[in-house]
Amino acid sequence: MRRGFAAVACTLVAFATLPAHAGADDASAWLRRMTESLASLNYDGLFTHSSGAQSETMRIIHRVEDGRSMERLVSLDGSGREIVRTPEEVHFYMPDRRVVLVEPRSDDGSLLRALPSPGPKLDALYTLDLRRGTRLLGREVRVLDIKPRDAYRYGYRLWLDEQSAMPLRSEVVDGEGRTVEAIHFTRLDVRDRIGAGELEPAVDTAGFQWVRSGKRTEPRVAGSGWQVRRAPPGFRLVARRVQVVPGVPVPVQHLIFSDGFASVSVFIEPGSAKGPGPPESATIGSANAFSTQVGGHMVTAVGEVPAATVRDIALSVAPLEATAAPATEPKDP
Amino acid sequence: MSALLDGELPKGEVDLLVRRMARDAELKRAFGNYILAGESLRAPGGVMASQGFAARVSAAIDAGEGVVGAAAPAAPARAPVRWRRPLAATAVAASAALAAVLLVRPDSGDSQQFAERSGAPATVPVVALPVGGASPTPAQNQRLAGYLVTHGQYATPMGRRNAWSNALAADPGIARVIPEPVEAR
Repeated sequence: MRRGFAAVACTLVAFATLPAHAGADDASAWLRRMTESLASLNYDGLFTHSSGAQSETMRIIHRVEDGRSMERLVSLDGSGREIVRTPEEVHFYMPDRRVVLVEPRSDDGSLLRALPSPGPKLDALYTLDLRRGTRLLGREVRVLDIKPRDAYRYGYRLWLDEQSAMPLRSEVVDGEGRTVEAIHFTRLDVRDRIGAGELEPAVDTAGFQWVRSGKRTEPRVAGSGWQVRRAPPGFRLVARRVQVVPGVPVPVQHLIFSDGFASVSVFIEPGSAKGPGPPESATIGSANAFSTQVGGHMVTAVGEVPAATVRDIALSVAPLEATAAPATEPKDP
Repeated sequence: MSALLDGELPKGEVDLLVRRMARDAELKRAFGNYILAGESLRAPGGVMASQGFAARVSAAIDAGEGVVGAAAPAAPARAPVRWRRPLAATAVAASAALAAVLLVRPDSGDSQQFAERSGAPATVPVVALPVGGASPTPAQNQRLAGYLVTHGQYATPMGRRNAWSNALAADPGIARVIPEPVEAR
């Protein structure tokens, strides 16, 4: 009894003496916990997704069964779009366009193992700061600031539930400290079990066009070798694929770059018969895309990084044979 | 809009707002009224712009390459500014144009007085509201959506949620395709 009292007292003293700003190690541990919680817990939440003048309410349902995660993300405002990730496929329901895009699910587990975890490499790119925050949704939170050390990546501010490490609120912040995108949960239930039926889409797909992509294949055709000659600091090639992307009529090369936190995809598809068009950029919420023509192919870089980053990556893409050796090469996940 | 009028809206978001106003009549009307309300609050003499100003802001946004001609009789009008593509600096230009909207005191007989209050030059009688970029075609939109969905599969759990949330966003204007000049590298 006395030993138990002493243990509780020690815990209380330890908690009371916890500094308002914890060290980077604690911050890294919380970042790791958050990533694990997002991938491994069963949860059902409502959140507001805001970007610029746009704000939309969405629902996320995440279910784990036999170690595999499935999820359903639903837009509750306007379009009624949904993304459902099943054990085998990802379905993107677009009722506003009467289209369902389908693609095979990637083996995210193997890829995540290839990504750098919080550590010295990440510390070289971001500074992490952890502090106690005010309550959100009635829960105690830690606020984790992830600040980039350069302009090639966005920063993040995360409000993490003390108990589950789930992010109750998150903001993507640009180099001048302005919020590019915010996700704010208004309800989040972490449950022991989520029924399979809760992942069923609410969309009536009668008369919809189903655009189904093919299976992924390994690089095999002449000219399929591409590289990024000058990836921004910290970004390394973690995977490459040849695959059919839903909505894109031909197989594309897919290169995936990551700095351990942010990632950029580069898609390379044969150019259209109409000939090369002008380079284009697009902003989709906090994501940026940049397309340009290289060697008769359309190269598009997409990622939740500043516009300059996707632009630099896209403009650095070249066929492998054009240079002696790539600046970065993937470790096969 | 409040952040915009306070000069606190990032350039990229100014661009987004301008384009969204080009499609959203209610937003355009609200913006015009917002300017009028703010202006009347700031004006010591309580001088109000005519009711037609908000409608002209709206019309100018509709016109895309059009102009809002401020009816400041004492001010010499500049030639209408035509917005040329490609639009490498759309956001900057949009920001500048909107700043001009805020700095011009339209429909007032005393533009100089307004200029003194706002610190703006009195001779900025014409406001260009460029409409940069273009709405993505269905094919472009579908391609971008496909790319985002595929990209999300390879991101961290948080990156996936963010990427897919962007793909779900209802307003097609959230994605704007902007032709860009590319210098040789």
